[in-house]
Amino acid sequence: MVSTRFLLKRALLLVPVLFGVATLVFAILHLAPGDPARVIVGQRASQAQVEEVRRQLGLDQPLWRQYLQFLWDAARFDFGQSYSIKKGGTVRSVLIDRLPVTIELALYGQVAGIFIGIPLGIVSAVRQDSLTDHLTRIGALTGISVPIFWSGPLLILLFATYLDVFPTSGRIDSTLFLPDHWTLFGTELPLTGMVTVDTLLLGNVEAFLSAVHHLFLPALVIGIYSTALISRMMRSSMLEVVRQDYIRTARAKGQGAKITLMKHGFRNALIPVVTVIGIQFGTLLGGAVLTETVFGINGMGLTIVTAIGDSDYPVVQGTVLTFALLFTLVNLLVDVTYSYLDPRIQQ
Amino acid sequence: MSTDTPDRTDAAAAETDRRGLLARLRASPFLSELLSNRLAVVGLSIILAIVLIAVYARLFLDPGALASSRLGTGIPDRHPPGWASSVPADRYLFGTDAAARDIFRRCLYGAWLAMLYGTITVGTSTVLGVGLGVVAAYYGDVTDNVVMRTMDVLLAFPPLLLALALVAVFPRELGLWRAVIALTLVYTPRFARVVRGAALKVLEDEYVDATVALGASDPRVLVRHVLPNCLAPITVQSTLNFGLAIIDLAALSFLGFGAQAGTPSWGLMLSNGVNNGLLTGKWWLSFFPGLFLAVTVLGFNLLGDGMRDALDPRMREAVD
Repeated sequence: MVSTRFLLKRALLLVPVLFGVATLVFAILHLAPGDPARVIVGQRASQAQVEEVRRQLGLDQPLWRQYLQFLWDAARFDFGQSYSIKKGGTVRSVLIDRLPVTIELALYGQVAGIFIGIPLGIVSAVRQDSLTDHLTRIGALTGISVPIFWSGPLLILLFATYLDVFPTSGRIDSTLFLPDHWTLFGTELPLTGMVTVDTLLLGNVEAFLSAVHHLFLPALVIGIYSTALISRMMRSSMLEVVRQDYIRTARAKGQGAKITLMKHGFRNALIPVVTVIGIQFGTLLGGAVLTETVFGINGMGLTIVTAIGDSDYPVVQGTVLTFALLFTLVNLLVDVTYSYLDPRIQQ
Repeated sequence: MSTDTPDRTDAAAAETDRRGLLARLRASPFLSELLSNRLAVVGLSIILAIVLIAVYARLFLDPGALASSRLGTGIPDRHPPGWASSVPADRYLFGTDAAARDIFRRCLYGAWLAMLYGTITVGTSTVLGVGLGVVAAYYGDVTDNVVMRTMDVLLAFPPLLLALALVAVFPRELGLWRAVIALTLVYTPRFARVVRGAALKVLEDEYVDATVALGASDPRVLVRHVLPNCLAPITVQSTLNFGLAIIDLAALSFLGFGAQAGTPSWGLMLSNGVNNGLLTGKWWLSFFPGLFLAVTVLGFNLLGDGMRDALDPRMREAVD
């Protein structure tokens, strides 16, 4: 089991890292060229107007005060108002709108990767140097070499433009309308923002199918990449484990090959794979950014790309920090899983 | 020996050196292992081919002409390959884009850009990462903590997103250079981490203690003894990161934060393909630059994998 002590210690270690992350984001955006106040009021505004906005934003304060204010705001997840993405709206509302979109996409890709990649890796390792193994390895190597912004367009061209079996972009059919809440026993509850979950909560089967239909290609693009990564890692990890003494001992005791492999091999081989899944989650989030751009999905990725282009710094700060927080939390989760799989880690 | 003229000694020494080097190369289990790995040889061949293409493009193609619109002189959106056309000017192996530019030549020039900026990115982050990693391992204590905790902060960001945030800082005019600077900062911690681990192992060896006891200075110990013994993981890490760097450079250009408009970089060409070719079915705008990009990256991944296996199967865990 995972001890509370270990959990607490591991969570406390996050504090300095997150502090550093926030400091870096503050520094990056204070080095950014251009005056945020000028961005807000526009090029034709007078100097007096610019000064007024600077004062409102606290940009006339000394740097250390701005920094402290920023840390305090970041801790409360308050990044002020968006300059251009959602003019007048808070950054927080932008994040609440768009984070679920990206999480949904990344999750489907990751889950597909885990459920296809792990069995593929095991088969590849068990039948080392067979045709299956060679095909899997070459396939996986190709999978990690093909950039998402190439596989995406090619899949769109084939399945959407030429064969017309999948939509080219978007998240749901434009004729379908989803309400902003759902009802459970007469109480109105907010929706999750993940379209495949929401349509089910609303019990709207037609909308659900449409959402799945739209999500299929983008999730496939991410899924190919994550499947390739995971199967590679699973294969090499499994190969390492089957050469261990305890596997030989179990076999010598007369235990069947399959049982030994699954009972002793699989669990131990999974340990390094779990770590890789955690580390690669960051790459997966980067992949989601690219996928959203290719498929025109309005999630965090498209948001940050537009925000940088428009110099909407509060939104850039908010999205980058959210991504870093998400990545850090996933790695915390990975560490906990790791220590569950291998209790020696906790000592 | 003492009767030899200094001349002959030198020549003989040089000869043994040369023979020694060759023999050492031939006897090196690493090289023979690597060259017997068919996939690694394929990877090496791909890289050599791309390097040749890059050099050819640099010497014989004019980037200015590849960047500017050919509307008026050429045919826009020409379907490849156009063999059948009776007009020679109408024959384009990979077709043309909306500005009537020859996609084939642009792809060739893209190889030069990818290799050049990729080398600079990986080279700089290797040097920085190795320096930081070795120093952190050698001095330990506060130095180690300061360096590695800083690296941890950089590693806490998803790589592409840190690059995006950094790119926002630099002025647009820097073009691909801002992508290079951003990615260098993204990759440096990976090298630092791997090198620090390797250096810590080396530092436990007795010959290091012996060298220190003999009065060697810190830089001498680090450069002459620690560094050469960390070369293996550094080389593998560099090769694998080369592929990633080329993808990431292209990704930043694709998103609009790398190469400036018109530049024949693969990433920018792919972005053009997505914006102008997806709905109209002009597949060749995306297909060819992406193919070049993917094959190049595959080459580095094949070679990197082969090197990793050749060096030590157990190293698989140390390098990710």
